[in-house]
Amino acid sequence: MTVQTHPHETRDLRLAARQGLLPARGSGWLTGFGNMLGKELGEWFCTRRWLWQLLIWLILINGFVGIILFVMPALESLLPGINASMQKPYEGLPPGAMALTQYFSIAMLAGTIGVIILAQDEVIQETQSGTAAWILSKPVARPAFILTKLLSNTIGALVFIVALPALVTLGEIYLDIHQVVSLVPFLVGLGLFMLTLFFYLSLVILLGVLCESRGPVMGIAFGVMLGGMLISNFIPFIGYVLPVTMDKIALAIVLGIPLPAMFVSQVISAVVLSIVFILVALWRFQQKEF
Amino acid sequence: MDSTNSLVIETHNLSKIYQETQALKDLNLTVKQNSICGFLGPNGAGKSTTIKLLLGLIQPSGGQATVFGHDVQQDSVAIRKRVGYLAQDPRYYEHMTARQIISYTAHFFYRAPKELIEARVQEVLDLVSLEDKADRPVRGFSGGERQRLGIAQAQVNYPDLLILDEPAASLDPQGRHDVLEVMEKLRKYTTIFYSTHILDDVQRVSDTVAILNRGKLIAEAPIRELLAGDGGSAIYDITLKSEAEAAITGARDRVTSQPWVQNLGMTSQDGLICWQVSVSDDAAAEDLLLRLILEDRSLKVKCFGRKTYNLEEVFMELVEKENSK
Repeated sequence: MTVQTHPHETRDLRLAARQGLLPARGSGWLTGFGNMLGKELGEWFCTRRWLWQLLIWLILINGFVGIILFVMPALESLLPGINASMQKPYEGLPPGAMALTQYFSIAMLAGTIGVIILAQDEVIQETQSGTAAWILSKPVARPAFILTKLLSNTIGALVFIVALPALVTLGEIYLDIHQVVSLVPFLVGLGLFMLTLFFYLSLVILLGVLCESRGPVMGIAFGVMLGGMLISNFIPFIGYVLPVTMDKIALAIVLGIPLPAMFVSQVISAVVLSIVFILVALWRFQQKEF
Repeated sequence: MDSTNSLVIETHNLSKIYQETQALKDLNLTVKQNSICGFLGPNGAGKSTTIKLLLGLIQPSGGQATVFGHDVQQDSVAIRKRVGYLAQDPRYYEHMTARQIISYTAHFFYRAPKELIEARVQEVLDLVSLEDKADRPVRGFSGGERQRLGIAQAQVNYPDLLILDEPAASLDPQGRHDVLEVMEKLRKYTTIFYSTHILDDVQRVSDTVAILNRGKLIAEAPIRELLAGDGGSAIYDITLKSEAEAAITGARDRVTSQPWVQNLGMTSQDGLICWQVSVSDDAAAEDLLLRLILEDRSLKVKCFGRKTYNLEEVFMELVEKENSK
């Protein structure tokens, strides 16, 4: 005869009465999600990681935008005509177009590289070190483990790579042209930026589940990113599938200029592929042995 | 059947094949509630594989297993809510302190005001005597301290079943002693299923023993039964003293004439006669053997007892017998 659940319930109640400890929330495929997410977000926001991330992205993105807006014009006396030649491609566009162009270009490129580096270790490191096996020996649903990694990195990227540098960029542009950038198109542009980062995060998490070492994760992710950008010049179809020109699409929306032809398909494809990556990662992780 | 005889772990033909290697072959194992079951076997016998199957960390290639009546494949999370587990080589987040690790573990099981969780964390830290190191990062912990932390985190949810994979392996004698002491402390609260290849530990703390060799279960019995030898046959050690040779010969004839006596070996040392009597019917021997010898009042029995084995002898015999098949 096997032990039935009833005695355990009685025991739980006894313990609850004694200690005030109640069974943890969360059931089904989200069992353990809250606790793991709390720990992961704690690593982003309750350690020095937040400071380093803040510094890295402010220096990288806003430093670059600052150089374009404030340092280049100051060099006019040393290199006559440099500022005029830089401004030339943006003639006829709304004020701040140059800063916004530079912002989306650098943020999208650096941000994508950043999330690939940040997330490449998330699953593999835990699998190799044995901490994943430890966590999964607790009442934790495997999908919760993967979704925690995805969500915590998405939140981290949203705050440190997208939101805070974007706010500072708005401030930099205001200081330069004394005008406020139209907020709604800018937010839509940021949404596309975030979608691109989410696409690569999902891809890297999937690769972390599929691969046994970091090399292939980094290699394939950078291959998709850089290879996609290069190949799309020769095979335009790539531009309809991979988010290789999302910076230009975001910029077109912000500046109110005509959108590139692949706009709709690129956005839809990024959403669909991200979902596919997540579903495959969840399915494969469910089969994984520890 | 009363609750003390209930089965906590039950496996039916549980098998696991890794690529082409059969790690576990048709395992049929039962572990009773409130017992300490030592899961013995040489390295690579399949002990860790069995434990991982029970916890849902790997999937069986065949057969099935239940823990608390829950299927290990279908209801793994429900099982893990009631289980505490210490891995063979426990790994934690190295930057976290022991207190943080136990608190993190506790939050998988319970929600409560912070102070209540902290009280429970302190309780298990005290149990494993880690209070003075509770706020140090785990990366600086010795093997023994990691093992004690492992037991603490495994115990934080008041588990109904504690599964320990080689809890005393790679520890020095003091560390082993500490771990076994903690297991002794916990035995009144929970069922303990632990794997080991250290036979002394099993003999010291276990109620029942299961022996695994090359993925096959070759013995499963209460430890007393296993150490007493085969249930039917037994060996009795008898030491006699007598001045008269004829008395010894007469006693030997009376004994060897019994149908349940298989063999009688005799040696003499320091004026004492030592017999080793192999019997096929232990009950008959227990009842009649001593009476038959003492029929002659000139004989003095200095020592009489059923031969007991130590676990190492039993283990080696079983494993060698299995390996020679």
